Amino acid sequence: MTVTTAQPMAPGWKRALSDGAMIITIVYLLLYAIYASSEPSALSVFSISSLINNTAPLALAAAGATLVIICRGFDLSVAGVVSVTNVVMAVMPLEGPWGALGSLAICLAIGGFIGLINGFLVAYLKLQSIASTLGVMIVCQGVALVILDAPGGWVAEWVSYELTDVLFGFLPVSGLILLGVVGLWLLVLRSNLGLAIYAVGADETSAGLSGIATRRVRLLVYVGAGLLYACAGYMLSAQTATGNPNAGTPFIILTFAAVAIGGTSFAGGSGGLIGSMIGAATLMLLQKVLFSTGVASFYTGMFQGLILVLAILFRGSIVALATRRGSG
Amino acid sequence: MAQIDPTAQSLAAASDARSRGRLESETIAGIVIFLLCILLIVCARFISPALGGWSHAETTLLLASFLIVVAFGQGLVILVGGLDLSVASMITLGGVLSTTMVGSYDAGAWALPVVVVFCSLLGGVSGFSVAYLKVPPFIMTMAMGVIVYSACLGYTKGSPRGAAPELFIDLMKAEWLGIPVAIIFVLLFALAGWLVQKHTAFGRRLYAVGSNQEAAYVAGVHVRRVTLSAYVVSALCAGFTGMMLAGYANGATLRMGDSYLLPSIAAVVVGGSSILGGRGSFIGTVGGAILLTALSTIIQALGVPQGWRTVIEGMIILIALLMLREQLYQAITQLFSRQH
Repeated sequence: MTVTTAQPMAPGWKRALSDGAMIITIVYLLLYAIYASSEPSALSVFSISSLINNTAPLALAAAGATLVIICRGFDLSVAGVVSVTNVVMAVMPLEGPWGALGSLAICLAIGGFIGLINGFLVAYLKLQSIASTLGVMIVCQGVALVILDAPGGWVAEWVSYELTDVLFGFLPVSGLILLGVVGLWLLVLRSNLGLAIYAVGADETSAGLSGIATRRVRLLVYVGAGLLYACAGYMLSAQTATGNPNAGTPFIILTFAAVAIGGTSFAGGSGGLIGSMIGAATLMLLQKVLFSTGVASFYTGMFQGLILVLAILFRGSIVALATRRGSG
Repeated sequence: MAQIDPTAQSLAAASDARSRGRLESETIAGIVIFLLCILLIVCARFISPALGGWSHAETTLLLASFLIVVAFGQGLVILVGGLDLSVASMITLGGVLSTTMVGSYDAGAWALPVVVVFCSLLGGVSGFSVAYLKVPPFIMTMAMGVIVYSACLGYTKGSPRGAAPELFIDLMKAEWLGIPVAIIFVLLFALAGWLVQKHTAFGRRLYAVGSNQEAAYVAGVHVRRVTLSAYVVSALCAGFTGMMLAGYANGATLRMGDSYLLPSIAAVVVGGSSILGGRGSFIGTVGGAILLTALSTIIQALGVPQGWRTVIEGMIILIALLMLREQLYQAITQLFSRQH
């Protein structure tokens, strides 16, 4: 652990890339090469942008989960927030660009509120994070079922067309949104808050002793995660154009897998959002590759589970090697 | 264990006294939860005249029997400080294996050993990864759940066929002296579970590992082996529940385990066990399972839509966690005072 706790003090984007994100980027590029060799159309603007569109919801959700995990917590409420925002988008379509903005505001309010509840339960009432966010997730899924009891409804046309569109013939809108989140994260990294998040995750007691308001940082982290999950639900609605009260369920395993292969340790205090987002992209690409190579879709879950466990074992062995070298 | 120095002896005596006090509060909590169950079933008469009688109590016990068996395994994993999210898939695996075997080989007697072997192997893999490779428990069991589910999906091509083994139909449907065999079975199971957890060396080791791993290690407990075995037992219990469910419904579905994952955790927490491990009693968990089942039968009778039922389920977990918070504070302060 000495290695990972020393790292957060290095400033800026260099750390963000050096920590696991580099490895997963290389894996992604290799996988893309395989995909391109079996499917020649893989390099066209259309298939790249559709891949980015597919990735956006998971990448946003994984970014949110990463925030909480860096702070040494777990957040299962992602499934709940994505489901609730998705059904709200489908039940209450607001047309036009202003309508889209209004829907986004509603989604963010929902996500922020749920994040606030999570943060309050974990940071101030000191409940165990897995159990309490599990409870919140179940309540949210119930609420989603109350709003819309079966798949259906239509998302506003403006949202489902414009947000999955390609600007100037090469720039997918969803990619821009992901870049926006990355930009925000780089800003946060340079602020005191960024430092505090890593400090609380690495060692809460010493973070508290050095004057960090640990409870407030934790609360903010859960709220931030809730907002990102809401964005994920928003982008998912844009992509599917319909509502499903169980839309969020597959997100639980996929977000944690994305975070794990993106190089963020579940022990807290290390890793970053960018790695997780590339991890999410890798998972979605893997699904495409498996599909194009003809593996039965029944077994997709098996691959996802295996990748999740292997990523953690791989990372664990690297950390073990690094610590041995550091001490010896 | 032979050479205990005097300070350790007095410490042991102190912890003995503490555990006696704890046992008493646990017994009281257990009595309270069973009284709540009886009260709930009796009060159900006001909702509908069909409820509240002996037959309602019998149905509740019968339906709770599945949850009690899963919750025993879940409780052991929680006791050692973990969480088993793979129980839903293990239930499905138990059901699918037992029904498809009968369908294809007409050899129902083989279903039980096959399920036992598969489930203990898979539980062993989870337990090994958690105990020896230090994979976070909930990640490992979640991944195992997805893997097992997708294997069941692929194996059955999406729609399980076949019928349940005779043995399990008998277990779930037959009566003995006017009492359903399943209820007799689950009462014996509860008694055995309580004895194993409280009065065997294995059970005491689980408590030791759950309350303080390092202390348990120093005291000569094979911490990793004990942790591993908790996951094996949990997978076994879940697989057995799958067979019971298959016997009850005379068939398996791929989603048959889903409605037992969260209640199995809720039953343990509502029953007064600490979600952080090291504390709890199986009697409390049995009470929690019966209480949750009674609640759900009443909610079903009220005709509450699925969404609100789910909301109530989540709220129950949160409320139980909040009520245990006081104990949590005590545990934390104890932890700190022990360190200084």
